[in-house]
Amino acid sequence: MVVALKERGDGLPGAAEQSGPIEQLRYACSMGAMQTAAAIPRVIPITHCGPGCSDKQHNALTAANGYQGGGWGGGGVAPSSNATQREVIFGGTDRLEELIEATLKILDADLFVVVTGCIPDLVGDDVGSVVRGFQSRGAPVVYAETGGFRGNNFTGHEIVARAIIDQFVGAYDGEREPGLVNLWSLLPYQNTFWRGDLGEIKRLLEGIGLRVNLLFGPDSGGIAEWKAIPRAQFNLVLSPWLGLETAAHLQEKYGQPFLHIPLIPVGAKAAGEVLREIAAFAGVSERAEAFIAAEERTYYTYIEAFSEFYSQYRWGLPARFAIAADAAYALALSKFAVRQLGLLPARLIVTDNPPGEYRDAIAAEFRALDHDTEGTVEFLEDSYLIHQQIRSAAFGHKPPLILGSTWERDLAKELKGVLMEIAFPASYEVVLTRSNVGYRGAITLLERIYSTTVSRTA
Amino acid sequence: MAINLRTAAVETREQRLGTITAWDEGTAAKLAEQSEYSRGCGAGCGVGNKGSKLCELESPFTQGGSCAEQVVQGQASGILDAVLVQHSPIGCAANQPMNNTNFRNTLARRGMAVRNSLALSTNLTERDMVYGGVEKLQETIREAYRRHNPKAVFIATSCATGIIGDDVETAAREVQEEIGIPVVPVFCEGFKSKHWSTGFDAIQHGVLRQIVKKNPGKKQEDLVNIIILSGTDVYTPMLAELGLRANLVLNLATIEQLEQMSEAAASVSFCYTLASYFTAALEQEFGVPEIKAPQPYGFAGTDAWLRAIARATNREEVTEAYIAREHARVRPIVEELREQLKGLTGYVAMGASFAHGVVVVLRELGIDVPGTLVFHHDPVYDSGAPERDTLGHLVEETGDVENFTVGIRQHYQFYNLLQRVNPDFIVIRHGGLSPLASRLGKPSLQLGDASFPLGYQGIINLGAEILAVLGQKKFHEDLAAHSSLPYRRSWLDEKDPFALARAAVA
Ligand code: SF4
Repeated sequence: MVVALKERGDGLPGAAEQSGPIEQLRYACSMGAMQTAAAIPRVIPITHCGPGCSDKQHNALTAANGYQGGGWGGGGVAPSSNATQREVIFGGTDRLEELIEATLKILDADLFVVVTGCIPDLVGDDVGSVVRGFQSRGAPVVYAETGGFRGNNFTGHEIVARAIIDQFVGAYDGEREPGLVNLWSLLPYQNTFWRGDLGEIKRLLEGIGLRVNLLFGPDSGGIAEWKAIPRAQFNLVLSPWLGLETAAHLQEKYGQPFLHIPLIPVGAKAAGEVLREIAAFAGVSERAEAFIAAEERTYYTYIEAFSEFYSQYRWGLPARFAIAADAAYALALSKFAVRQLGLLPARLIVTDNPPGEYRDAIAAEFRALDHDTEGTVEFLEDSYLIHQQIRSAAFGHKPPLILGSTWERDLAKELKGVLMEIAFPASYEVVLTRSNVGYRGAITLLERIYSTTVSRTA
Repeated sequence: MAINLRTAAVETREQRLGTITAWDEGTAAKLAEQSEYSRGCGAGCGVGNKGSKLCELESPFTQGGSCAEQVVQGQASGILDAVLVQHSPIGCAANQPMNNTNFRNTLARRGMAVRNSLALSTNLTERDMVYGGVEKLQETIREAYRRHNPKAVFIATSCATGIIGDDVETAAREVQEEIGIPVVPVFCEGFKSKHWSTGFDAIQHGVLRQIVKKNPGKKQEDLVNIIILSGTDVYTPMLAELGLRANLVLNLATIEQLEQMSEAAASVSFCYTLASYFTAALEQEFGVPEIKAPQPYGFAGTDAWLRAIARATNREEVTEAYIAREHARVRPIVEELREQLKGLTGYVAMGASFAHGVVVVLRELGIDVPGTLVFHHDPVYDSGAPERDTLGHLVEETGDVENFTVGIRQHYQFYNLLQRVNPDFIVIRHGGLSPLASRLGKPSLQLGDASFPLGYQGIINLGAEILAVLGQKKFHEDLAAHSSLPYRRSWLDEKDPFALARAAVA
C-alpha cells in the first residue's frame, strides 16, 4: 500500500544529506525524546506512533542502559496511540484526540508532551491542530514532531525542549534574576549517569553561589523550573553541541544571553577552570575561589591515597585508552584521562552524529586535549566501523583501556583490555546515582577504572 | 484454514485465527466456550474470517505495547549464522540493546560462546522517505554479506517502508541472485497487526518459503523439530531418554538446522502461540506431522505431550518407562513444595498459551489462581487440532479461572486487575507490568527463561522460584509505602479495568 507523503512546511534536507547502515546502534530515534519529557518530574509523554515504537525507545534507553528505570511517567506508563492500518489509511488525528482526552481523565501530571513517530509524520497528521484544541481549553499539553526518520534522540531532545518553551512556558517580559542559571547539558537517559552527573553539576554551581534551573532529573523542581526559565540571568550550555540550538532560541525569544562551555568538567583541573569561567561570566568570582579551594582539599586527599596504589601496583595498569561515546562524554572523559590520569589517547570516537556545523569546533576541542597532547577525533555511528578503528589502534604493550558500551564487550576480550561501560548501551551496569563528573564523580570514575583493572584476572 | 506460502507477506493472526486483544467477560471457561475451536460467541462481531468471531473491547486509552517487527528482530537475530537487516529508520532498531542482552544471556545458558547479536539498520532518513529506500536496502544487504559472510540474510520491514511503498520483495530477489545466499524478506510492519505475535508467523513464513528444504532427500526418523524461545535446553536430555534428537528452532539455530526441518519425524512446541503457524505449515506443506497434544505443563499435560511424541515416532515403550521414572522422582518433591506453598494465591500475566501452561503448573503446586491476564487470545491455532485447545485443557484439567482477562499488556489496567484478586505474587513474562506490582507491594517472578516451568522438572523449578521470590516481599512492601502512581484517584477507585472501553460502546 502506498500513501502519498504529504508536503511539509519546513522543507527537505539537501541531497548531500546521506547516512550509511548502522550496526549495533548507539542512540535511539528522535521519538526517544519521549524520555526527555519523562526526565522532568511529573511530566508524561504521550506517544503518537505505531504499537512497538514507544516500547523500543524506552527499553533501549532506560532498561538495557544501566537499568535506570523509565521514571514515574515514562516507560510503560506513557500513553501510546498504537496506530493501526486505520490510522495509516485515514489519518490518526481522531485517534490522537481520543487518546489525549482519555489521558487527561486517567493520568495526573503537570504537563503532557505529545511526541510523534514515523506514522503520523508520514501520513501528515495535523497534530498541532489537535493539541491546540486542548491548549485552548487550558489543558497542559504540548506537542513535538519527532518522527524517527527526522533524526536521533539528541536532536529530538531539542525539539521537545523547544516545544515546552514555546507552547508551555510562553512569553515573558519581566525582570531577570541575577545568579539564576538554566543548565543545558547531558542528554537524560541516553547518558547512563545523567542523574548523578546533573546532581553533581548542580552542587558545583550552587557551590560558587548560583541558583540552578536543572530542568531534568530527581534534583530538579519540575515544571516550576521550566516556568522560571525566562527569569534566569543566563543559559549555560555545558556540552560540545547539545543545547546550543535551545540556547540560541532562548536568546532570540527572551533576549537571554548564554555561555557555551563544551567541556563537562571531570576532575579538579577541569572543574577549577570551568567554574572560574562560569563565575566570571556570572559575576560571582569570589565565592567561587573559596569553594574551589575547599573542594580541591578533599579531592587531593583522596588522590594522595590513590597514589600509593597508582605508583606501586605491580601487575600492570593501562597506559593508553580508546573512547567511543557521545561528544559530551567523549570530550569530558578523554580530557580527564589525559590531564589527570596520565593516559594517552589511542582512538577518539564521537558517536552521537553531531550536526555538520558543529564538527569543526568539536574536532578543535579534541586537538587541544592538553598543552602537550593532541587528539584526532573521528565521527562514527556504526559499531562495526568503530570496532575496526579500535582494533587497529596502537595500545603499546599494556592492556588497552576501552571507554565504551556493551557493544565493546567482545572486542575488549579480543584485545585483552579493560572495558568501562560509560556509554549507551551500558547493559552490564546498574546505575542510579553514580556520577563520573565534577570532583566527586571523578573519584568514583577513577575507583571504577582501577577496580575493573585489578579484578580483570580475578 | 489452509496456510498460503505463495504470497511473500503472511496473513495476520486476526485474519487467520480471529485473534483478539481485549476481552473481560468473566471466567476462562466462558472464553473457552466462546472460542470452542471456531464457534464464536454468536454475536459475530469479530474481525476474523477464518477463526471464530469473538467480541472485542476497544479502549480509547492505550499504553505502548510491542510490534511484529520487534518479535521478528528477536527471532531473526537469534539465528546463529544469519544476519538481520532492519529496513527502517533507526528507531525500529532501538530494540537491539535489549535483544542483545537476551541473546548473550541465552548463549551463556546454552553453554555457547557469548557474543553480540548481529543486526544492521538501513538507517532511513527524511530523504529516503521521499525518494525511497530500496537502494540503501540493497547496499545494506551487500554490506551485511561482506562483513559477516552469513548463510542467509533476513530483512525486517517497518511501518515507514510499508507506507512509502518500497518494493522489498524485488530488491531482495535481486541481491539474492547477486550474492548467492537466501535473502528473505519478512513483512512485519507494526501497524498491520494489532498483536505482536504476528511477528512469529512472519518470520516462520519467511523461513518456510526460502530456507526449509523443499525436497528433503532422506527422512531423519529420530529428529524432532522443537519450536522454542530463549532459554535453557531442557529438550535435548529429555528427548535423548526416548532415543530422539531435538532440532531446536529458531532460537540459536543454524541455517542448516532450519533447512532440515522438512526431514524431521515430527514438530512440537511448549507454546502454541509461538508455534501455531510453523507446525501447521510443516505438516501441510512438507508432510512433517504436528504433534497434537496439550502443552507440556504439569503431570497430565507433560504425560500427554510425551505420549503423543512417542506415538508419532514409535517409541511408546521407552517413553512409558521414562514417564514412570520421572513421576517417581518428581512427585515426592512436589508434595514437599505443596506443603511449603500452602495457602498462597498467585496471578499470572503473560502471552496466551504460555499463561495457560503456567496456571496449570501453579495449580499442580497447590496454589490458588483466581485470576489471569493473557496479552491476546487466539480462538484457534492454525492446524485447528482440538487436542491443542490449551485454554480448554487448562479448564478441564485444573478447573476454571474466575477472573480471566485478555488485555494487551496495559499498565493502567493491571492496577484494577490486581485489586480484583489481591494475590501474594505475580508470575509474569515481558517487561512493563512488574514495576506496577512492585509499587503495590507485590513481588513478581519474571519468567525470562522460557524453558523454566515446563515438563516435570518445571513444576519443581517454579515451586522453588516462588519460595525465593516471596523473600523479596520486604523490598516491595517498603517500596509500596514510599511511592505514588501517576493515575488519578478516580481511576484508582475504578473497579472495572475496561470501564473506558465499555463506556465507549455504551
Ligand atoms: S515504526 Fe512500526 S515497525 Fe518500527 S517500531 Fe514502530 S510499530 Fe514497530
